[in-house]
Parts: sequence; C-alpha cells; structure tokens
Amino acid sequence: MAEAAAPQVFTRRASGLVRVMSPYSAFIYNVLTMGVIFPWTYLWAPTAFQGSNLVAGILFAFLFELPIALAYAWLATALPRSGGDYVFQSRVFGGGFGFTVVFAFFVVWILQWVALSGWLMASLGIAPTFIGLGVTTGVSAFTDIGTWAASANGIIIISVVNAGVALVLLVSGFRNYVRFQFVMWYAILISFGLVLLLFLTTNPTAAQVKLDGFASSVDGISGFFATARGAAEAAGVNFNPPFWLFGTLMVAPIAWTSLQWATYSVEQGGEVKNAHVFRNQVFILVGSLTAVAGLLVLLALAMQKGIGTEGILTASAGYWYAVPEATIGGNFMFPNLMAMGLTGSWVIVLLIGLGFILNSFQIVCNCYIGTTRIMVAQGLDGLLPDWFSRVSPKFKTPVNAHIAYFLAALPVIYGFNKVSSWTRWTLGVTFANGAVMVISALAAALLPYRAKAVYEASPGARYKIGNLPTVTLVGVLGFLLGGFMVLSFLFVPELGLAYSIDGLPYFIVLGTAAFGLIVYFVMRSVQAKKGLKVEYAFQEIPPE
Amino acid sequence: MGLFSKKGTAGATPTRLFYASDIHGSEPTYRKFLNAAKFYEVDALVFGGDLMGKMLVPIVRDADDSWRARLQGKDHHITSPEDMTLFKRSLQTLGFYWQEMDPEEYATYVGDQDRIDQLFDVLAKQRLAEWVELAEERLDGTHVKVYLCGGNDDTDVVLSALDEAPQERVVNAENRVVPLDDEVHTLITVGYSTPTPWDTPRERSDEEIGTVIDDLLSDVADPSRAVFNFHCPPLDSTLDSCLKLDASVWPPTPLIERGQPVYYGAGSQSVTDALTTYQPTVGLHGHIHEARGSATFDRTPAYNPGSEYGEGVLRGVIVAIRDGGVVGQQFTSG
Repeated sequence: MAEAAAPQVFTRRASGLVRVMSPYSAFIYNVLTMGVIFPWTYLWAPTAFQGSNLVAGILFAFLFELPIALAYAWLATALPRSGGDYVFQSRVFGGGFGFTVVFAFFVVWILQWVALSGWLMASLGIAPTFIGLGVTTGVSAFTDIGTWAASANGIIIISVVNAGVALVLLVSGFRNYVRFQFVMWYAILISFGLVLLLFLTTNPTAAQVKLDGFASSVDGISGFFATARGAAEAAGVNFNPPFWLFGTLMVAPIAWTSLQWATYSVEQGGEVKNAHVFRNQVFILVGSLTAVAGLLVLLALAMQKGIGTEGILTASAGYWYAVPEATIGGNFMFPNLMAMGLTGSWVIVLLIGLGFILNSFQIVCNCYIGTTRIMVAQGLDGLLPDWFSRVSPKFKTPVNAHIAYFLAALPVIYGFNKVSSWTRWTLGVTFANGAVMVISALAAALLPYRAKAVYEASPGARYKIGNLPTVTLVGVLGFLLGGFMVLSFLFVPELGLAYSIDGLPYFIVLGTAAFGLIVYFVMRSVQAKKGLKVEYAFQEIPPE
Repeated sequence: MGLFSKKGTAGATPTRLFYASDIHGSEPTYRKFLNAAKFYEVDALVFGGDLMGKMLVPIVRDADDSWRARLQGKDHHITSPEDMTLFKRSLQTLGFYWQEMDPEEYATYVGDQDRIDQLFDVLAKQRLAEWVELAEERLDGTHVKVYLCGGNDDTDVVLSALDEAPQERVVNAENRVVPLDDEVHTLITVGYSTPTPWDTPRERSDEEIGTVIDDLLSDVADPSRAVFNFHCPPLDSTLDSCLKLDASVWPPTPLIERGQPVYYGAGSQSVTDALTTYQPTVGLHGHIHEARGSATFDRTPAYNPGSEYGEGVLRGVIVAIRDGGVVGQQFTSG
C-alpha cells in the first residue's frame, strides 16, 4: 500500500466570503492605535516615580500585556466578528454584563479619546510643528500659529475639525480609511525615525545648548535649560535618584496606556481578511505589541543618549510638577518638540510634525472605527435603537453611528479644554478601557467552559497544556497582570483615579457603569414590549 | 396577551418565525437551527438556502493503519479512533464532508472534478436526508414546521432529498407558495441567485428570477400577507454588500481599483422590484454572509441575518408578524 502524503482537500464551485482589511493593514492599525507618539511614558513616569527605569518599565508593560494579547488571539479567531470585545464578553458572560461593560467603558469613555486626540494633534502636532518652523525659518507668523494651536480655543477648534474630517473620511467608506492609513503609516515611520536619529546623534551637553537656542528663539529667554533644571529641582525633582523597583513597576501601567491598544483591531474583526486564522491574529495582535514595545524602548534609549537623565527629568517636571520654566512656547517638552529643537532644518521639522499630526488624526479615526462597530453590533442585538445599526446604502458604512458619535464628542471636547477638572478624568479612560481588556482576558480564560461549542470549533482549541486549554492559562495570566495595572490606576495616587482627593473620578466611572446598565434595562424593556427578549441575541442554542 | 402563544391567526397573537440561512453543511449549526424552535419559542422555522457544504476532506489510510488528512492548511496524522472522532466532529462543525479512502482511490479523484462533484452530491444528499429525518424526530409532537429550500450553492440532485421521504414537520418550500400559519400568511420561496463569480450550480439571470417570482405571486391572493423567502437579497440594499471579485481567475480574488478593493451590491433587481411592487409582510434573505442587517422598502422590512456557520454559530432573525405586518424583530447569534 502506498503511503498517503498530505492529501489535499477537495472543493467544488461554491461562493466564498471575502473581507476588506488585510492582516498587514490590521497590524498597522494596531501599531498606529498604540501611538508611538504618546509621550506619557517619557513625561509622566520619570518624575512621578523618580528612580524608575523607563526601559525596564516598558518591558514590564510588554510582558504584562503579552498574555492579554495572546488571549485575544484565541478570542479573535473563535469569534472573528465586528464588535469584538462586546461580542466576546456577551458570549461568555451574558448580554447584560457584556453590554454594560463595553458600552460604558468603551463607547462612553472613548469619547474622551476623541477630545484627547484633538489635544494631541494641537499640542503634539500642530503647535510644535509651527513653533519649530517659526524658529527654523524665522517667520514669526508660524510661531504665532503654534502658540494659538496650544491655547484652549485653538485646541477646541482643531479638535472639532479633526473629528469632523475623520467623520467625513470614514463615512465615505472604510476602504478609503484603509487606503489613507498607508499614507499615515509611512509618514509616522519617517517622523519617528527622524526623532530617534536626532536624539542618537547628539549628547546631553550639545543638546542643552541647542535647546537653549531653540527656547531663546521661541520665548526670547536665555539660559533656558539651566533655569528649567533649577525650577524642576526646586519643585522636588531629585536628579540623582537611586533605582526604585516599585517605581519601575509603576511605569508599566503608564506604558500600558499605549500598549493596551495592541488588541483594538478585534473591534472590526468581521472586516479583517482571514481573521479566523490563528497565525494572522498572532501577527496582528502580538506582532504589533512587540513592534511598538520595541519602538518605545528605542525612544527611551535614544532620549537617554541624547539628553540624558537630567534632560528627561527636566522635561518630565514641566508636565508632572507643572513647572512653567520647563516648557517651550507654553508646550511641554514632548520628545518631538525637543527633537525639533535639535535640528535647524525646517524640512525635518515639517516631516516630524506631519507624522505626529497624522498619528493624532489616526487616533480619532480609530475612536470612530472601534466604537461604531460596537454600536452596530449592539444595535443588531436590540440593545441600542435599530437606528444605530443601519448601514447607508450609498456609502456602505454605519453613517448614523458615526454621526451620533461625532455629536456626542462635541460637548466632551468643550469640557476637556474648558472645564478645569475635566482632564483628570482622562486618567479614567485608561482605567476604564483597561478594565474592558482585562475582562475580555477573563472571557478568553472561560471561553472553553462558557462557550464550549464556539471554542471547540476554533483553531485555538488544539493548543493545550496537559488537559488545560492554553487559552485558559494565558487568559488567567492576562487577567491577573492586567488587573494589577487596572488596580494600580485605581489606588496609586500618581497613576490615576486616586490622584483626586474628592473622589470625583471614581463617581464618574461608577456613573458611566450605571448609565450603561440603565440603557441595558431600558432597551430590554422596550424589546420586551415588542415580544422579544434581548437575551436571545447572545444566548447560545444547545445543538443537542 | 401572550406573544409567545401557539398560533398566529388573524387575531391579536402574532406568528413568530425564526429565519436563518447559509449553514453550508454545518452539523451543529443545523442542530441549533432545529432547536431554535423551542429555544426562541417560535411557531415556524424558515431556512433561506445554501444547505450544502463546500469542502470534502479525504481521510487517506496510511501504511500503518493510521490516517492522514489536511484541514485548514494543516496536515493531520490520525492514529486512534478517539482522534478520528474528534477530527470528524471538527469537520461537522465546519460543514465539511469526509470520505475515508485508500491512497489508490484518492489518486483516482485527484484532478477529476466531475468525480469529485459526484462524490459531493452523494455525501451532501446523504447528510440532507439525515437532517430531514432529524427534523421530523425533533419537532415531532410540536406544532412547529420547518421550511427548507436550497440556495445557489446547492445542487438539484442534493435537494431531491427533500421530497424523497414522507414528512410531517418538514416542508419543501423550494419555488413554492406554502401556508405559513392557518392561511393568514403564506411563504413564497425562491432559492436562486443572480450570477456570481463562483459559477455556482443554481444561478439564474435577474430576469429569470423575476419571472419565477411573478409566476409564484400569480397564485397569491394577497401578497401583502406573504413572507418572501428569497435567497438572493435585493440589489444595492446593504443586505447585498460584498467585495467585487475578479472572475477571470480561480478562485476569484478581490478586484482592486486604485489600490483598493471594490465593494458593490451583489443582489437582484428583480427581488428589489418584487419587494417594492408587492409590498409583502417581510423579506427574508441570505446569500451574502457578511451583509448582516436590515433595510426597508416602503412598508416592508427586509432582513439578512448573515452567516457564520464555520464557527458553529447560528445567525438568525426572529420576526413576529401579525395581520400582514411585522410587529417585532430581533437578530440572534447563538
């Protein structure tokens, strides 16, 4: 008898399903969503946790996020659908829980990200770019534009335009976004590469001289760096702190504000090509996490080389201790602003600025993309009015959901920039979004037991450690490690919600959860009057 | 008043039906479909076509009485009866057929598409006959009927299984007008689709589909109380949105214009016309798995619940109808 070697599958002529976003595009999407431009790790951590090691902190965040990203690979291949986290959690925990968590902590809280992305565009993109152009070209009008962009009114206008342009782009069709994403991708890579290069090709002494010259051109002051350093020291910065392990661990939740988004592409799982293939999801989720963690580490090392501990702590003091002397043109010393100060070329300034502007724009786009997919899924399940789930015949996109989200973001944009205590709630975003991801990790752990048929039909079902499904192991690990970071946000004063003594952020978080629960019960009641049970939407029918 | 009561006559009690489509041979999905009657407390189960699976996995005997097969790009070496049971269960979930064979027999199929298609028909018809029997068994003693039909992916040979056994609970609805509930509402079923890049067995021109629909409607006294169960969705309704494919290559690949894939409506203008002209109670559609959603045609809502049979998930929609109108609907995913 001849030996059978790898017999092929027989097929017949039958129709097939094709999706629009390639795994590579989904990988890029996650990298951009994680935002290598986010400056928090470099501005927040060094003075909030003096003695911490940035590189080690970033690596801790990577290790803590790794099991979460792996757990999502199982979920995304078992349930490759749009609405990601909502679908996962409602399938495993039930609709009331899944809806409440994902609606309150994603759909509602990500409104804050729409405002924040406008702030990022103004403060990290437009303001430094124009200030840099003003210095390098000597045209004062550029500097004026940069200063205006950093003002409250400037940020509001930029934020609304940012959100409006994203709305138009996305309503015109998801494929248009995917196409433009490549432009953003290459622009951001060039920009980030230039920032790295500028830090790597200088040294702290030379950098301080250049920053002095830059600040002199912008603010007309002399001896900027020495003054800033002195003010930072007076504010409480220890420029020679001993290594602090706990502080280093606390850098992880800050770096996690970027790295937690490694899994965000699952929200449009129904549009990703071959989303059910395990290696694709590992590439998309774990690959993007690894890439961004690597880039963050590189930037930390480059900054260390270029401006040294002294420079990093001075810049950080401007942000954390609100030391006005450690700002340039009213802007915090973001890595990109400092990089611009290190070059005399307006072309380089423009290239760096363009990358940061486009990454900020991508962030508002991903706010819409993820949340509208969730809203459509919830609308189809009868948990939001049907209006949200309607897809425009002309544009083939959920236009209503996009418009609703844009309108809902407007008061948040105003509040973010005009209400003095509002920015504190930004810290709640990372807590709330992180909580969704940690709960999804737990959903992954329980998938083999709570959604057995779905799990057994998934490609990840073949991975076991002894009798234990591997997804259960990584899910539990992700839940515990992610839970550690979420709890840190809750209870470590330097990290988030506990920063406020009046407890307001806690009440805001509880309030949004209660709002989600109220929406759930209202919609449940509305559907019941039509003779329908919303529970039907996510209960799995036993096959036997 | 109970919306979940037994029959939907002309009074205040709606008839509740559960609609699903495109399960493509998936055994657990079909079993869920049958159980949906009890689970969702509905009066009728309506299936929208595409019963047949798309792949056939040869399980080829190896030299040492173990077996080899390939599934989802991976080679499987099956060495025990337990492994074989698990492997076949995976195939059932995915909607694939299988055939155990010797290497010599396997070699006779390789490259012979006609022989492969014949084997598909034999195995698919056998599975459909089993499904009919299972439906009779599961729905025995209930008032629920299950209305089955084919879609563009099913062959006539396989669909003949629907008429070959005496049936109480299973209704072959294909290209027929059948009563849905005590003569108030009727169900009109057309399983054809417009031509696809995949060149599937039961495609018809849009005009031919229009003719079939009009012929069926000529026997219906009150189309406003008819439920249209048309496999092909209405053209450009969002229920038919999918990627445009290049049919000049096999398998068809997404058509790229200016660096981007192109979306289009793959539905039928005749179906759109029928919904607009006859204003039935509701339109139920499948065919485009990724186009889950709803649309309206004046007073008539139309639904496509989509399909995710490959994950063993039953996508469907519960529709409550009364006096020629829809009083409630809910998409499900179970």
